[in-house]
Amino acid sequence: MVCSIVQTHNRFLREGCPNCEGFLNLANSTEAVQECTSQVFEGLVTLADPSTSWVARWQRLEGCVGGVYAVKVVGTLPEEVRQAIEDAGAKYTPRDGTADDDEG
Amino acid sequence: MSSADLLNQDFGSESEDDNFNPAPAGDSDNDAAGDSDDETNVTTKSNNAQQRRRSSGQRNNGEEDEDTKDNGAEDADGVGDEDEDEDEEEEDEDEEEAISGRPRKRVRRDPRNQFLDVEAEVDEEDEGDEEDEEGEAAGFIAETHPDDLVDLPEGATTDDRRHRELDRQRERAQQIDAEQQAQLLREKYGRRTANTADPVTVPKRLLLPSVDDPSIWGVKCKPGKEREIVFAITKRIEERAGTKNPMPIISALERGRTMLGYVYIEARKQADIHSALDGIMNVYPRSQVILIPIKEMPELLRVTKSEQLQPGGYVRIRRGKYAGDLAQIDDVETNGLEASLRVVPRLDYGQNEDVNAPMVDGGIKGDAKRKRQGAMGLTNAAVRPPPRLFSDVEAKKKHMKFPQQMSTFDKKHWQYLGENYINGFLVKDFKIQHLITENVNPSLEEVTRFSAGAENGAENLDLTALAATLKKSTANENYLPGDTVEVYEGEQQGVTGKAISVRGDIVTIGVTEGELRGQNIEVPIKGLRKRFKEGDHVKVIGGSRYRDEVGMVVSIKADQVTLLSDLSMQEITVFSKDLREASDSGVAGGLGRYDIHDLVQLDPATVGCVTKVDRESLRVLDQNGSVRSIMPSQISNKIEKRRNAVATDRNGSEIRTDDTVREIGGEQKQGVILHIYRSFLFLHNREQTDNSGISVVRATNVATVAAKGGRVAQGSSSGPDLNKMNPALMRNGANGNTPMAPPKSFGRDRALGQTVTIRKGPYKGLLGIVKDTTDSEARVELHTKSKTITVPKDTLGFKDPMTGQNIDYTRFSGSRGRGDGGRGGFSGNMGGATPGRVPDRPGGRTPLPMAGGRTPAWGAGAASARTSTWSANVSTARTPMWRQDASSANANGGGRTPAYMASNDGSRTVNPYADGSRTVNPYGGAPSGGARTPAWNPTATSSSYSHDPFVSSSSTTNTGGRTPADEPSYRTPAPSYPTPNATGPASNNRPYDAPTPGKDFTTAPTPAAQPSNGYPNVGNTPAAMGGAPTPKFSGDAPTPFGGQPETPGWGAVGEDTSPRYEEGTPSP
Repeated sequence: MVCSIVQTHNRFLREGCPNCEGFLNLANSTEAVQECTSQVFEGLVTLADPSTSWVARWQRLEGCVGGVYAVKVVGTLPEEVRQAIEDAGAKYTPRDGTADDDEG
Repeated sequence: MSSADLLNQDFGSESEDDNFNPAPAGDSDNDAAGDSDDETNVTTKSNNAQQRRRSSGQRNNGEEDEDTKDNGAEDADGVGDEDEDEDEEEEDEDEEEAISGRPRKRVRRDPRNQFLDVEAEVDEEDEGDEEDEEGEAAGFIAETHPDDLVDLPEGATTDDRRHRELDRQRERAQQIDAEQQAQLLREKYGRRTANTADPVTVPKRLLLPSVDDPSIWGVKCKPGKEREIVFAITKRIEERAGTKNPMPIISALERGRTMLGYVYIEARKQADIHSALDGIMNVYPRSQVILIPIKEMPELLRVTKSEQLQPGGYVRIRRGKYAGDLAQIDDVETNGLEASLRVVPRLDYGQNEDVNAPMVDGGIKGDAKRKRQGAMGLTNAAVRPPPRLFSDVEAKKKHMKFPQQMSTFDKKHWQYLGENYINGFLVKDFKIQHLITENVNPSLEEVTRFSAGAENGAENLDLTALAATLKKSTANENYLPGDTVEVYEGEQQGVTGKAISVRGDIVTIGVTEGELRGQNIEVPIKGLRKRFKEGDHVKVIGGSRYRDEVGMVVSIKADQVTLLSDLSMQEITVFSKDLREASDSGVAGGLGRYDIHDLVQLDPATVGCVTKVDRESLRVLDQNGSVRSIMPSQISNKIEKRRNAVATDRNGSEIRTDDTVREIGGEQKQGVILHIYRSFLFLHNREQTDNSGISVVRATNVATVAAKGGRVAQGSSSGPDLNKMNPALMRNGANGNTPMAPPKSFGRDRALGQTVTIRKGPYKGLLGIVKDTTDSEARVELHTKSKTITVPKDTLGFKDPMTGQNIDYTRFSGSRGRGDGGRGGFSGNMGGATPGRVPDRPGGRTPLPMAGGRTPAWGAGAASARTSTWSANVSTARTPMWRQDASSANANGGGRTPAYMASNDGSRTVNPYADGSRTVNPYGGAPSGGARTPAWNPTATSSSYSHDPFVSSSSTTNTGGRTPADEPSYRTPAPSYPTPNATGPASNNRPYDAPTPGKDFTTAPTPAAQPSNGYPNVGNTPAAMGGAPTPKFSGDAPTPFGGQPETPGWGAVGEDTSPRYEEGTPSP
């Protein structure tokens, strides 16, 4: 949800988000995955080289792993998750009217 | 491990950058270094991010960087490291150096040393802080200090290198702007509490692409396959990641619906795209590849905020039973996929259960039309029940078991057939993609249904939500130049002005108030709303059921305007966007069928003239002068304007439409006649304001002011041309100026059964029998062939029964008298007319009887006329008829005149009597002549016509005597005359009052003539009875007759006379 990476639900469940696992703790938590991911997104970006890519920079994905990200994700993070992100020192950028998310 | 120094060092060291750098070699090195440093990967990452940012900031300060270098150079140990560090900072992408330097650096650093150094540095830092007096630095140090203390116990030697490094860092810190420093601090702070991997927010404008960034190319692909392509590329990237030829592209993206048919590839070189995409399905890198200009790159990734559904808002349902129905959002699932909606249920409660027919699900394509139809049950009503709130009573009727009350505290919650009904609404989850969220345009009645849902009927209409919904749809937002608008959003909020021009979504307004007055500004349409003032006269232009209603604004609350309808006098509330200032012209169109000034039939006895046309009603001024508002349905029909309608004013003048008349007495109304309805006139006067200038008056109360075309100006005694009004005359189709048609015979056409010869045409010369006739034609059965042909009557030759002579039809039918008595036989048929003839023949009298009352009359007339016995009467007798005739009568020679009741003519006529007496003879011979004159005279026609009869019948006998010729004509009138006679007797004396009669009868078309005659007749009759008749006949009649009448009869005389008649005619 936060970095807008696109993965399957199962993979989220299995491995969590490669970028945000630190504070989202998605792995093995169906509930967390449910809350922090959205199935509604638009636009796909596949990043081969997130560090050099302007697209990545623009999307604020510079530090993220390569992979497929969404341009726009529809959905809202629960307030507590947002708080958790803030606490983690991360900046939560809504990915489209509302939330970043990473998932697919 | 949590030592702040460590952190600091991390900032300073570029080694972490390597983690970011994709270069495989660097990565591996870095990891190794990181491990050795006991740093977690996470930490490294965050450091990298920070450094990158910092480096960019430093780029700007090249000099300072150099200074830093210098500082670093002082310390032998640190020199190499620092140089490298700075290089990296200056050039993010210059990785080679960093890579080469790192190993050295790492090697030199002993993890343990580092810690020790840090501690030492801390002390120095404290000093430095004091020196610098830099708050931020102080904070920095303060935070780190405790950590340092904690670390101290570990024990370590202080190293110069560390000091250097610290100095360098401090300098760097100075270079960083406050914001960055704050972030830095926070990051440090955050690191302590948790691990952070997130990039820090940088204003987007700093992220704008530059020439250094890779370019983006658009590549055509198969529409709809964009995602597949992107995934394919991803796969390929992963596959080739560790190989010798990694994917040369940097990223690939697609924008789905926004840019259908394109994928975008971020790469350094265009050639890379080809190699990368080669072999991927559905993408066509060989075709045109578009380089996206740098400026447009952000556009490519711009995310438009999608509509967020808000509970309470309105949407339409795209498919299913409720397709097109308006629904209110009850709740939205957090995942944004579904929403629970409140819908007015369409339930049939099992009444059409067998009709488990397909639901109506042809999508509605986003327009409200269908919705409305559906709401009205027009579409497939059997399958789609009309929307009604859920009723448990009805549900129980058929499905006793199904409705289940759900909760005890809320009585209104039912479950029925698997659906939940709350307060009568169906509450159901719908997928958002099946909802229409844009351009919903809820109409008020739909919305009202939701609001009316409350049991108590209270209006709980959430207008705010409604307004929000409406605002989203700018589709029918229309502004016209001249509209007064107000900006309610954006920088120019509160500005009001008049729209000057409208272009697409931009309205140029000329500001009318405030500081900007006089300026023109452009405002997007969505920030505008129309502005009205209380008291404005406005018209509803759309969007609600009040469309076209006109009214006055009584109150305004934000977007909602309440107005008092002109028509219904009800208050209605609409959105200001649906209003427009009403022009004074009022409602256009509307009833259509009825227009102002139309004459309409309200009920069998009432007509009215439309004075105002409103949207749904008409204002009508009826014949009684009352004004009423009626519905069009109350009008039985519209009375077409009768151009030739005629009435008489109080003076007896003829008035027609478009004449100008003035009311005598009363209100002295004046105006142009719009309509004449019986005795009522509808006048129109432009100067009158009430009732659109229309008033109603009685015809008998008005005097003509001006008649159209100056018709009235004929003579002082101008009055209606009664002859023209005489239906009896009109029936002949006679027109005042055309020669009178041959007299009509009534009853059986004498020609019937006659043996005739055809004198003209293809059948010329043939003999036949008349089988049937019309006015002008006859059907003749030929003797030669058994064939019946139609020929004009006047081409027939009749055999005179008496003489065997051939005569034409006119003579045959009309003037057989001329033949002689013998012909008279025919006359018998003719009825009234006959008298004239009768005398001639021996049997002549006989006919008289036939004629009845008349006979005596004329007999009398003759007698009286001549006879002095009359004498007394004479004057009177005639007079009545002719009025002043007496004298004039004598004077006038012409028996022709008799026809003219008119005084003058009449007088003449009278003479005829005199003559008549002589003329009597005429009966014998001259009938045709004399008769004609009066009766036939063209002009005389109508007028004379009518009169003649009288003449003939009455004293006129004389004329009659002459007239016999006219018989035909006489006939016509004859029938009617009798009546007068009949009445006459009662008032024998009347005749003498001559003038009077005329008047009396004026009302009746023919009256004048008739009465007069009648009376005379009556009057005469006795006289005649007495002595006159006989003498007449025997005595004078013959002589004159033969002489005068005949001659004039048809030809010249007729013409001569005609003028006279003319004169005479009008005079009455």
